[in-house]
Amino acid sequence: MTDLVCYSRCRSMLLAALACGAFASVSFAQSVGLPAPRLLTTTPMGAKVGSQVEVTISGESIEDADELTFSDRRITAARKLNEAGQTEPNKYVVTIAADCPVGIHEARVMTRLGISSSRAFSVGTLDEVTRAAPNTSLATAMELKVNSICNGVMTSRAVDHYVFEAKKGQRVIVDCATRGIDSKLDATVIVADAAGRDLQVERRGGVLDFTVPSDGKYVIKVHELTFKGGPAYYYRLGLWELPVGAAVVRQQSTKPVNSFSWPPQGLKEQADLAESEPNNDRTKTQKISLPCDIAGSFFPAADVDVFEFEAKKGDVWWVEVASERFGLPTDPSILVQHVARTGDTEKLTDVAEFSDIPSPVKVSSNGYAYDGPPYNAGSADILGKLEIKEDGLHRLQITDLFGGTRNDPKNIYRLIIRKAAPDFAIVAWALHMELRNGDRNAVSKPLALRGGATMALEVVAIRRDGFDGDIDLAMEGLPEGVTANGLKIPAGQSRGIMLVTANQNAPRAVGSGTFFGRATINGEVVSRPCRLASYAWPIPDSWGEIPSPRLMADVPVSVSGREFAPITLTPPNEVQTVTAGEKLTIPLLHTRRSEFSGAVLQLRTMGVGFDRAPQFDVSLTADQSQAVLDTAALKTAPGDYLIAFYGGAVAKYRHQPEAIVAAEEDHKKAVQELMAIEAEVKKLTEAAKAAATEAKPEADKAVEAVTAKQKAAAAAVAAAVEKIKQATAAAQPRDIVDIVVSEPIKIRVNSAEKK
Amino acid sequence: MAVGLLRTDAAEHPVSFVNDVVPLLTKAGCNVGVCHAKAGGGQKGFQLSLLGFEPQEDFESLTKEGRNRRLFFGSPDQSLLLLKASGQMPHGGGVRLAATSEGYALLREWIRQGATFDRETVPKLLSFEVHPARGSIKRGGVQQLQAIAKYSDGSVRDVTSMSLYESNDKAMADVSERGLVKISDIVGNVAVMVRYQAKVAVFSASVPLGAPVDNLPSSKNFVDEYVFANLKALGIPPSILCDDATFLRRVTLDIGGRLPTEEESTAFLASKDEGKRDKVIDELLRSPDYADFFANKWTALLKNRRDDASDTVSNFAFHAWVRDSFLANKPYDQFVREVLAATGTVIGNPPVAWYKRVKEPKQQIEDVAQLFLGVRMQCAQCHHHPFERWSQDDYYSLVAFFSQVGRKPSGTRGEDLIFHKRGLATATNIKTAIALKPAALGDAIPEIAADEDPRLKLADWMGGKTNPFFAKSLVNRYWKHFFIRGLIEPEDDIRDTNPPTNPALLEALEKHFIASGFDLKELVRVITQSHAYQLSEQPNQHNIVDRQNYSRYYPRRLQAEVLLDAIDWLAGTQTDFANLPPGTRAVALPDNSYNASSQFLRVFGRPEAESVCECERVQSSSLAQSLHLLNAAELKTKLAAPTGRAERLAKEDNPAEAKIRELYLAAFSREPRPQELKTAIDYLNEPGTAANANYQDLIWALINTKEFLFNH
Repeated sequence: MTDLVCYSRCRSMLLAALACGAFASVSFAQSVGLPAPRLLTTTPMGAKVGSQVEVTISGESIEDADELTFSDRRITAARKLNEAGQTEPNKYVVTIAADCPVGIHEARVMTRLGISSSRAFSVGTLDEVTRAAPNTSLATAMELKVNSICNGVMTSRAVDHYVFEAKKGQRVIVDCATRGIDSKLDATVIVADAAGRDLQVERRGGVLDFTVPSDGKYVIKVHELTFKGGPAYYYRLGLWELPVGAAVVRQQSTKPVNSFSWPPQGLKEQADLAESEPNNDRTKTQKISLPCDIAGSFFPAADVDVFEFEAKKGDVWWVEVASERFGLPTDPSILVQHVARTGDTEKLTDVAEFSDIPSPVKVSSNGYAYDGPPYNAGSADILGKLEIKEDGLHRLQITDLFGGTRNDPKNIYRLIIRKAAPDFAIVAWALHMELRNGDRNAVSKPLALRGGATMALEVVAIRRDGFDGDIDLAMEGLPEGVTANGLKIPAGQSRGIMLVTANQNAPRAVGSGTFFGRATINGEVVSRPCRLASYAWPIPDSWGEIPSPRLMADVPVSVSGREFAPITLTPPNEVQTVTAGEKLTIPLLHTRRSEFSGAVLQLRTMGVGFDRAPQFDVSLTADQSQAVLDTAALKTAPGDYLIAFYGGAVAKYRHQPEAIVAAEEDHKKAVQELMAIEAEVKKLTEAAKAAATEAKPEADKAVEAVTAKQKAAAAAVAAAVEKIKQATAAAQPRDIVDIVVSEPIKIRVNSAEKK
Repeated sequence: MAVGLLRTDAAEHPVSFVNDVVPLLTKAGCNVGVCHAKAGGGQKGFQLSLLGFEPQEDFESLTKEGRNRRLFFGSPDQSLLLLKASGQMPHGGGVRLAATSEGYALLREWIRQGATFDRETVPKLLSFEVHPARGSIKRGGVQQLQAIAKYSDGSVRDVTSMSLYESNDKAMADVSERGLVKISDIVGNVAVMVRYQAKVAVFSASVPLGAPVDNLPSSKNFVDEYVFANLKALGIPPSILCDDATFLRRVTLDIGGRLPTEEESTAFLASKDEGKRDKVIDELLRSPDYADFFANKWTALLKNRRDDASDTVSNFAFHAWVRDSFLANKPYDQFVREVLAATGTVIGNPPVAWYKRVKEPKQQIEDVAQLFLGVRMQCAQCHHHPFERWSQDDYYSLVAFFSQVGRKPSGTRGEDLIFHKRGLATATNIKTAIALKPAALGDAIPEIAADEDPRLKLADWMGGKTNPFFAKSLVNRYWKHFFIRGLIEPEDDIRDTNPPTNPALLEALEKHFIASGFDLKELVRVITQSHAYQLSEQPNQHNIVDRQNYSRYYPRRLQAEVLLDAIDWLAGTQTDFANLPPGTRAVALPDNSYNASSQFLRVFGRPEAESVCECERVQSSSLAQSLHLLNAAELKTKLAAPTGRAERLAKEDNPAEAKIRELYLAAFSREPRPQELKTAIDYLNEPGTAANANYQDLIWALINTKEFLFNH
C-alpha cells in the first residue's frame, strides 16, 4: 500500500468518524420519531462497473450495521476486515459485477433496528477517484484526469479546486451530480483558466460544455451555491471528453416523486411523430390526426407549437403531456380552439385549456405546522379531458409557461391525445401527522418495523381518463410475521392507507416486498405497482430546510427482532359486526412495553366509512380500552370495511437497554480476569523474592510480564466500566413522540332490518 | 398680445377659469404637493389638483365643496378664498396674493362674474414656448426669458409672469419667479424648465469659459470627438493625459473594483507597448473582477435584499446569475428581457427573484421605467406627471404589461413560481375607470393575444433599435460610472425638460451601443479607451471651474466595498464575512445582509438594496468615515494582523527601500517619490519603536491619504 493510499484511508476514516459524530448528535437531539436506521452517506458514492471499491458509511442509528445491500443484486458487499481479521466498523468492500446496469441503485444497511433508509449509489463506466485531501485553493488543486469521476464532500465556506489538462479544440463535459444522488448540494461548477480566472459557470444543475481555447491546464471549481458544506453536501464530479456534435448524456439521477404517474401503461418508447418547426402560429401549423403521440421541444425561448386536427362534435379525447415529470423545469400549457374560417378570416372559439395535474391531496406548504404531506403527487404537466363541441378544424397550441426567456432544447415534452384508456398510478410514503411543529422526521422513515408495530403508509392515486373505481392496495413478499392490510382508495377518491404490521414475535428479517394497487377496469382486474417515496434526508426543522423527496427503486420491509413497539393496540381478530345506524364497540388490548409521558392517547380513525369518527381518548396506563363508533352519525352504509386507529404518543424511550446487561457481563468477565492476573502477580512476585540468585532474573522477568498483563486487564476493566456508563446513559428514558397505529380492524355493517 | 393678468377689458370679457384662474393658483403655489394638492384631502379639506392639471375638479372644489363658503358672490372680497389667500384671515400657507395684487383682482373679478367654468368657446391652450429657447451666456451674465402661450383661437399671450421656472443645476443658473436667469461662474450647459398649465418648455444655455483651446489631446474614438468639440465650443482647455500609474489604478478600480497588484503595476509601468492601455482594459474586461464589480452595482439596483434567512438561496442565485451574465457578456437587452419576463422558479431561473422583491405591477413598472428607461413614472400613478408628458393613461398602459403575471406557491416560504397567466392584458386607470391595453410610453404596441406574455412584448419594444429611452438610459448610467457625473443628471431622470450636457455625445454613445448589439463590454471599452477618460485630474489654469464637461477627471472617493477591499489588500488581511469563504472580497458579496455586521460598509454608504436609484449608495464624506479611518478598532486590527503585510515587512530581510516601494506600488500603483522615500525611511529608522509598529503606522498613513481613498 502506498503512502498516498494509506493517507487517503486515514482521511476517510477521520471523515467517517467526524460524520458519525455529527449525525449521532442529531440523532440524540431528536424528539420526534423513534430512532430509525438511516444510511446517510457512502464514501465513495458510486463506483465503476466491474470494479471493487472500499466504501465507508455513516448515518443515524446504524452503529451496529451488519450487511450492506443494494437494490441490484449484482452489487455485493462484504465487511472489511483488518489485518487481524476483525471487521472494521462502517467499512465494506463493494463489488460491482461487470453486468451490473449503469445507473442509480439503492444502498441500505441492515441494523439492529432493521433495514435502513436508502442512499443512492451510482454505477458508471468511467474511472473513479475519491477526493482525499483538502483542495480548497488553487495551490492545492487536485489533479483530475479527463474521463473520470471524482467523489467529493464539500467543505463549508470553501471552494474545491481541480485541475486538468486539455488540448485546444477538445470538447470536455463537466457534470456534477448532486441532488440527483441524494446530496443536499446545490452545486456551482466553474471552469477557469490556469490562474483560476473564471471562464464558464453553471449553477442550475446543468452541465458545462467546454471547448478548450488553447492547450494547457484548466481549473474546475466546485462550491455550494451559498457555500454550505459538510457530510450531506457530497458530489460526483464527472469530467469526460465528447466528440463535437455528440449529444451529452449526463450522470444518472434519481426520479422525482411525481414521475410515478408516467408513462401510461403500454406507451411506446418512442413517439410516433416529432414536432416539426416552424409551427409557431396559425399560419404555420403542423397538421395531425387523432389519436396522436408527438415528441417536441420547448425551444427556442417563448416557443409555441401549434397543431391542427379535425374532430367531430361529441368526440371525447384525453390529453396528456409529460415534461416536468421527466425532471425538467417546465410548466406545459395547452389551449385548444375551434377554428371557423370564412375566407381569410378566422373565428376562434376556446374549447379547452389544460394546465397542471393537481395534487390529489393537499400538499404541505412547508410551514412550521404540518398541513399535508410534503410530497406533490401532482405535476406541472397535463392530464385532461377534451370534449369536442363542434365539428371541424381544431387548433392546439402548447407552450411552456416557464419558457419565455429560456433557450434550451433539452426542455422536451411528449404530447399524447388518445381515446379514453382508464387507468391509475399510485405512490406511497410514510404517513405523517402533526406531532411537534417543524419536525418531519417521520416521513423519511424506512419500513423497519419493531415487533408489535404497525406502520402506516399514505397512498395516493392519479386517475387516468375517467377511471373512477375502487383501488385495492396490497403488498406481497413480506418477511415472516409481517402482514400488510390496505385501506382501499375508494371510488372517486385519491387517498388510501397501507398498514404494515409486524407481529410481536416476528423474527429479525428483511424482505423485498412488492406493493401494488388492484382495480377492475372495463371488467378486467388490473394491477399497477405502487412506488415508494421518501425524503432524501430526515428534516427535524422544516422551517429551515426544504425537503427533496424522490422515488425509491424498491420496497424493502424489515423486522428488528431486537426492539419492540412501545405499545401495541390489538383489536379482536374476528370481524366486528354492527347493524347500520347502531353503535359498534370495539375492545382494544394494550400491550405496553414502555412508559409514556401523559395519561391518555388521543386516537383518530382511518379507513373509508369511519374516517370522520370523532377523536377519542384511551388510557396509556390501562391494559385495555374500547372504541365506540356510531354508524348513525357517520352514516356508514352496509358493507365490509377495514379501519385502524392512530394517534401520537410520547414514549419514554430507552435506547438498547440490553446493552447495559451485555456491558455488565463484559465488566464481570474483565474483573474476573483482572483478579486472576493479580493473583498470578502475587504468586510470581513471592516466587521471585524466594528465588535463588541464578533463577532471579528469570523470575523477575516473569513478574514483569504478568505485571504488564495486569495493567492491560485493569485498562480493560476501566473500559468496561466506561461502556456500562455509556450504555446506561444511552438507555436513560427520553421523551420521543411518535405515531401509534392500531392493528387493522375488520368491520361488517349489516343492513338494518326494515320494520 | 396682452400683458398682465387682468385684461383691461375684463369687465366686458369673462375671466377664464382654465386660462386665468388656474395658472394664477399655480403661480401662487396653492396647488403644489405640500399645499392644497397634497394627496388625501389637500389642506383643511380644500383640495386642488396638482399644478392645476385637473381644472374641472378644481372648479368643483372651489365652487361646490366647503359648504359653498369659499366664494361669496354678494361681496367677492368676503370670499374665504380671497380672505385666506390675502392673509386677511389666518392661513397656514401665509399670504399668497396681496389684496392689492393683480392676481387678487383677477380672482375677485372671476367671482364677481359668477365664478363660472369655461364654456366650450373659450380658447384652449395649444402650445407653449420660451424665448429664447437656447443661448450662450457669459459667466455672471443674465438672460430674461419670455414665456409665450398660444391658443386655439390663434391668440397669443405673454405668460412670463404666470409661468414657473426651475433650473436643472442651481449652482450654475438661478431663475427668478419672473423668468430672469442669473448665471454663476460655473461653465458648461444648463437648462431651465418653464412650465405653464400642463405644458413645459426648456431654455438651454451654454456658459462658455472662452479660454483658448489649442492643445487638445488626440481623439482615440468618437467619444473624444464629441467631448473635445464641446470643450472647444465652451472654451475650456482640457487637462493633459494622466500618467500610466494613474491610468492603471483608475481603470482597474473602475472596471475591476480593485487596486492593481504590485506585479501588474510593475509590469505595466515597465512596458513600452504603445497599446498597453487598451490591452489592460481588455484584460480587465475578461476578468471575473469585472463581473463581480458590476454585479455588485446591479444587484443593489435590482433590490437583491435579504429580509429573512429564507431569502438566502434566492439572493445568492440572483446575484450569481447577474454576475455570470456579465462574465459571459450577455447582451444588455437579453439581460433585461430575462429579468422582465422571468418565469419559473428562482433556482431554475434566478431572475425570478426580482419578482420576489418587487411584487406589485405598479411597483414593477415604476422600477422598470426608472432603472431600464431612465423615466420616473411614480407621479403619473395619481396625476399627470408634473415635469413630463406622462399621463395616468401612460402609467396604467405600462402597468398593463405586468397584469398577467401569474403566481403559484412554491415549496419555499415567501417564494412564488412566476408564469404568464393567459388573458388579455389590461390595467384600469383608477381615475377614469377605463381598462387600458398595454402601451409603452407613447408608443403603440401591436395587439397582444391572450396567450402571449405581454412582458416579452415590452422587452421587444425596449430592445428595439429606435427606442428613445432604453439604450440612452444605460449609456448615461455607465458614463456616470466612469466619469462620476452623468450626461444627464440624475442618471435615471431622462426627460425633455432635463437635457443632457452634451446631447451629441449621448446620441453617439447610444447609437454605438445599439449597433454593437447592446454589448456592455464594448461600451466600457469605448469609454475607457477614450482620451477623455484618461485625462488627468489635475486642473490647468482654466478648467478648475468645470464640473460637467469632462475637461479633467473628477476624483471620487472609493465606494464602501472597494475601499474595504483596498484596505485589506494593502494591509495584507481579509475581512471575514459570515458563512462565506475566507478571502471573499466585499465587491463580491451577494446581498446587503453583510452590512449589518460591517460597520465599515455602513459608514461608507453601502446600499441596502431598497431602491432602484443609485443615489441610495452614499458617496459623500462624513466625520464618521474620517474617524473610522483614523482610529477604528477594525482598522487597527487589520494593521496589526499577525499574518498582515506590516508584520511580514517587519520580519523580511529586505532593504527598507524595497519594502517602501512595495507599499507604494500596492497603494498607489506607482513608485515612491524621492522625498516620500526619505520621509518613510526616516520614520522607519526612528529609534524606540518596534519595526512592525512602524510599518503599521506607515500603512495607516498611506491609507489615510487622499491618493489612496480616491480614484483620481
